[in-house]
Amino acid sequence: MSEPVALTAGITGTDRPLPRGLRALAPFAALFAIAAVVPLTGNAYLGLIAGRAAVYWVLVSGLTLVVGFAGQLAIGWVALLTLGAYVTSVLAAGTVLPPISPYLALVVAGAAGALVGVVIGLPALRLRTFYFAMATLGFATILNQIALAWQSVTGGGVGVAGPIFGGPFGSTWGFYYFCLAAAALCTWLSANLAASRFGRALLALRDAEVAAEASGISKPLMLVSVFLFAGATAAISGGLFASLQTYITPDAFTFDLSILFFMAILIGGRGSILGPLLSTVLLTILPEIAAPLAAWSTFLYGALLLAIVLLVPGGIANMLDFGGRRPLETRRVIAPAQSMLPALFVTARQPATLRLAGIVQSFGGVRAVDDLSLTVMPGKIHGLIGPNGSGKTTVLNVISGFYPPDAGTVRLGDATLPSGAPATRAGAGIARTFQKPRIVGDATVLANTMVGGSALGRASFIEAMLNLGRHRGDEKLLRERAWLALRAVGLADLAEIRADRLQHTELRFVEIARALVSDPAFLLLDEPAAGLSSDEIECLGSLITAISRMGVGVLLVEHHVDLVFGICERVTVLNLGRELAAGTPAEILANQEVNDAYLGS
Amino acid sequence: MTALTRRGVISGSLGIGAANLLARRASAAAEPIRFGWLTALTGPNSAAGIGFNRAVTYTAAKINAAGGINGRQIEIITRDTQGDPAKAVNAAVEMASSVKVHAVFGPTNSGESLATTPILARFNVPSLQVVQLDNLIDPVKYPNAFRFAPSNTQWDDANRHYCLDILKAKKIAVLGDNTGYGTTAVGAAVAGFKKAGAEVVYAEVIDANAPDVSPNLLHARGVAADVVVVWTSSTGLNARLMNARGQIGWDVPFSGHPSMGSGDVARLLEKPDYWKNTYVVGYRSCSFDADGKFPSRTQAFIDEVTGKIELSDTTLYWIVSASDAVHLVADAVAKTGSSDASAIIGHWNQLSKWPGVFGDISFTATQHNGYPTEEIVMSLANSQRQGAFTLAPGYA
Amino acid sequence: MLRSIISYGLAMGAVYALIAVTYNVMHSVSRVFSFTAGLLGMLGGVFGALFIGRMGLPVLVGMVATLGCCAIIGVITEFVAVRPVLRSLDQHLYVLSTLALMLLFQQFTAIEWSTEPQPFPALVDLTVAGIDQRFWMPVLALAATVGGLELLYRHSVVGRAFLAIAEDNFAARALGLPERNLRIASYALAGAIGGLAGFTGGRIMLAFFANVSPLNFYGFVPVALGGIGNNRGAVVGGLALGLFQQAANFLVGGVFASIAVYGVFIVILLLAPEGLLRAPVTRRV
Repeated sequence: MSEPVALTAGITGTDRPLPRGLRALAPFAALFAIAAVVPLTGNAYLGLIAGRAAVYWVLVSGLTLVVGFAGQLAIGWVALLTLGAYVTSVLAAGTVLPPISPYLALVVAGAAGALVGVVIGLPALRLRTFYFAMATLGFATILNQIALAWQSVTGGGVGVAGPIFGGPFGSTWGFYYFCLAAAALCTWLSANLAASRFGRALLALRDAEVAAEASGISKPLMLVSVFLFAGATAAISGGLFASLQTYITPDAFTFDLSILFFMAILIGGRGSILGPLLSTVLLTILPEIAAPLAAWSTFLYGALLLAIVLLVPGGIANMLDFGGRRPLETRRVIAPAQSMLPALFVTARQPATLRLAGIVQSFGGVRAVDDLSLTVMPGKIHGLIGPNGSGKTTVLNVISGFYPPDAGTVRLGDATLPSGAPATRAGAGIARTFQKPRIVGDATVLANTMVGGSALGRASFIEAMLNLGRHRGDEKLLRERAWLALRAVGLADLAEIRADRLQHTELRFVEIARALVSDPAFLLLDEPAAGLSSDEIECLGSLITAISRMGVGVLLVEHHVDLVFGICERVTVLNLGRELAAGTPAEILANQEVNDAYLGS
Repeated sequence: MTALTRRGVISGSLGIGAANLLARRASAAAEPIRFGWLTALTGPNSAAGIGFNRAVTYTAAKINAAGGINGRQIEIITRDTQGDPAKAVNAAVEMASSVKVHAVFGPTNSGESLATTPILARFNVPSLQVVQLDNLIDPVKYPNAFRFAPSNTQWDDANRHYCLDILKAKKIAVLGDNTGYGTTAVGAAVAGFKKAGAEVVYAEVIDANAPDVSPNLLHARGVAADVVVVWTSSTGLNARLMNARGQIGWDVPFSGHPSMGSGDVARLLEKPDYWKNTYVVGYRSCSFDADGKFPSRTQAFIDEVTGKIELSDTTLYWIVSASDAVHLVADAVAKTGSSDASAIIGHWNQLSKWPGVFGDISFTATQHNGYPTEEIVMSLANSQRQGAFTLAPGYA
Repeated sequence: MLRSIISYGLAMGAVYALIAVTYNVMHSVSRVFSFTAGLLGMLGGVFGALFIGRMGLPVLVGMVATLGCCAIIGVITEFVAVRPVLRSLDQHLYVLSTLALMLLFQQFTAIEWSTEPQPFPALVDLTVAGIDQRFWMPVLALAATVGGLELLYRHSVVGRAFLAIAEDNFAARALGLPERNLRIASYALAGAIGGLAGFTGGRIMLAFFANVSPLNFYGFVPVALGGIGNNRGAVVGGLALGLFQQAANFLVGGVFASIAVYGVFIVILLLAPEGLLRAPVTRRV
């Protein structure tokens, strides 16, 4: 107990995929089993409420990826419910075109929902959070007004009859099982995505957008994908809703309903599938329990919501997360294992040199980087030092592609790296860490590390959604690489712990592990030693050296000059954006100007 | 007001559940007559529901105090649907299959009724409807549904007759609000006028919350409309229309929706004069004649409820029609000795001039709109007294 | 026709702009957008009708009471819905907590006050140059508020303290500024401003519990268009919105008017995400 515990790499940290899978499956199975036996009670009212919960869950299962995982506050998603309800009903009723089977109409509604979902969602790429929330409310109102105005199609204020599903699902209980099946299917699809690299990518975009892009995650692509999915599920939910209601009018799609979906996700817990499922059921049942209170039922509802937000801000999922709460050793020591490294570097590459030529970067009137040229050789460690404000981080940001330079080029080998395109860097073989660790606090250390391998994934969004072979192969690969990387940096013991429970210093190593997973040719490190003890700095130094021996070129921005002079083969000194001196550590130490400007005597 | 504790909520719903259980176990003779009552008590457009509710609770209490029906008490089970069709559907199914009511009154909003009508028909629950929408009543599709209040067509006919034959208008303007009811009513009114050969010079649907409606009235004045038909139940919109008419100094008659005569609207008028020259659909039973007297049946009712039901801030026909609803169910059970659906429906199907306070109701197996057209009249909006109105000029 | 569009447009626009200022004041001190801005507007009208109309208090007393009650509700917002949420990791919970608070108050008002719009009394017997009080009161209130806030922020110590905690609240605390109390005071001020919006707009909007949603949305539009924290931008945005809305109501009528307003709002936002009077964007890396 009094001895610090070494987080050595000897721990096996095996996956145990089967038990984990079963453990995760149990609550879902239990819930659906309960739902499946409701018809045995013969109570149509229970069936209606359970069916309604299933239908709402179809929508929420998709929306949770948008709101909970991607962090986009789409409060007005009831617009898609409206769209799906009307498309299904109008097509099945045959008022505009010849009538088609309601099942086919449901599919068409899903497609329409996917498209409109993207239209409503795309502004998320340009708008900040609350603005986007308001814009979605605007869309919801627009769709509602269109439903009211377009009398020839939607029936206007009088509305239109909901679709009647025939065949095996024609009876009341038959339709109930249909809704339940839809809910189960959507749960499966959504859970697959949540557990895939796309789910992790969404979380990364939400909480660590910059790191996500540096790991090769394309925000536009990811958002479009989830909006397509969430739009489709919402529209299908609308078609089922219309059938439950037997008749739809514009006033059925209330602001209250939109809030219900949104609240179900936040109360259930962001980044979870089970949590929102439980809270959707809860929020469907709650008004019915309060119904005898008549006028005061909505008031009570609002009070309960407020209470939950204040008392359980992490949501139901957080409450249920027992594993993530196991106590940690308080005096932990990081002990990297360099023997793990070779297994991580598998991509056969021609050794290429990273070259900056004449980089100029201004902010407003200030030149943060003024005509800088720099070369990093593969397998060598290049230090970049200088006083605060000398432009060191800006240099890294230009290489990473976050800032398109005003002048100059960044070249990797013969290829010029496209400016202003940070998501291309991971694929090109450039990985980096950040001055302030950019981590997804809600997710485990392992999941955070796996984010680094996003560019390595081969499976498409659809394959991940359906849990097909190529996706499973991806996951196996990424998981293995992440374990290797964590062992290499010495954090394997903490792999299953929520990242926000780690100490600041450990997070810096997590970032390095994440960078290693991408199998980089070049590693950009932004002040990795900040806040580390001298022992830890020594560990860091030997780790970086070992990494460079794998053939990785390292550009190290640092203030700890001992570390820099200890491990770097070459050093560049910046001052006020310009190169003050460049050479071997010995040359720099001897340089008088450098001593005056930065090192002191 | 129920105590707002969680225990209270749970025990409240358990109480209802227990009451159901007990009700089913007890012998049929002592079994209460369960009357399901679905309405919007909060949320927009709940003024009518609040009015109906007063009469429903009063009438049930009165019958129970007199010993009930054949020894059976009437139990009112109320659900506040808040104008939300989803809540209305939940409540309808709950009433029909869980609570197993013997009859349902309501819902009282069009959107909700459209959704609950097929459902109540599926469970064959005898249901009484007051909402105007024409397609809610269909003896073939919904043999269990009966309307003892006027349909939209009846309202429209009465109004059109007054505009064309008594006001002798030639150019008609029709305004409504942008709810489901408003858009449909405007459409139906325009069609009706055109069919009667009149010229509709302006028809518009206005946002119920629009702060300024003078552009609409100025437009109507510009096309020389000599009557403005108003089909909206929105208090705010009605008041703004009348205020705007007064402000632009246009002396055109308004004719149409009964809510133009309500106390809520009157309070929002800037000058009492603005209430003049406005005619609203009304009922002979709820109107004062030229001598300021009610029909005797109505007078008797008012004498009985004065001090027990507040009339001054609501509309009389809401009160009397809700009272009639409870009596319609109670009478059916009393006369047939049974509260089975078939008994009640069968009884209603042969009702001929049933003496309600609201009117003489008649149904047949093929006619489920039971309110006699001749009892629909136009009234003077600004004559509101005790929730009732004076007959408009031109009526006997 | 034109006269009606201009007078109602400017009056409503002023009300929207005042709600926008409420959003701005709350945001400036907590970086949080609160759904209670529209609620405060609605309550300004309801309290005014209650105190002056129903209870018969003199106009000035009623006004002070109204603004006071709204200030209290502003403070409640800070305590209940904002402060606990700022402490936790998930900043976006404020949307949920302010929404829940808004629902609570709105529902309570519907039950206890009325579900129908109630009359708002005429406050003064004063028609200026033929312009009714319903038109000049909101505009006057807007000018006074924005002018007053500028004086406060730029020329008084308290105001500059507000700005300081908005800029960098750690530094402000380090300087010894009572950050918590200043935030509470800011929310009280915001509450009063929201109440003023509803109070001066009461003749037009009436005392109606359902005013919350339109005020929330239309009050937000000037914030988005003018740029966060930019009160002058909110004035321009609000007045422009009011005029556009009235013109649309007249030209295309009812349903299409609201589609037009929402549609134009979204389009402008997409073209200028930080507002038309562009606010500087913070660096994200």
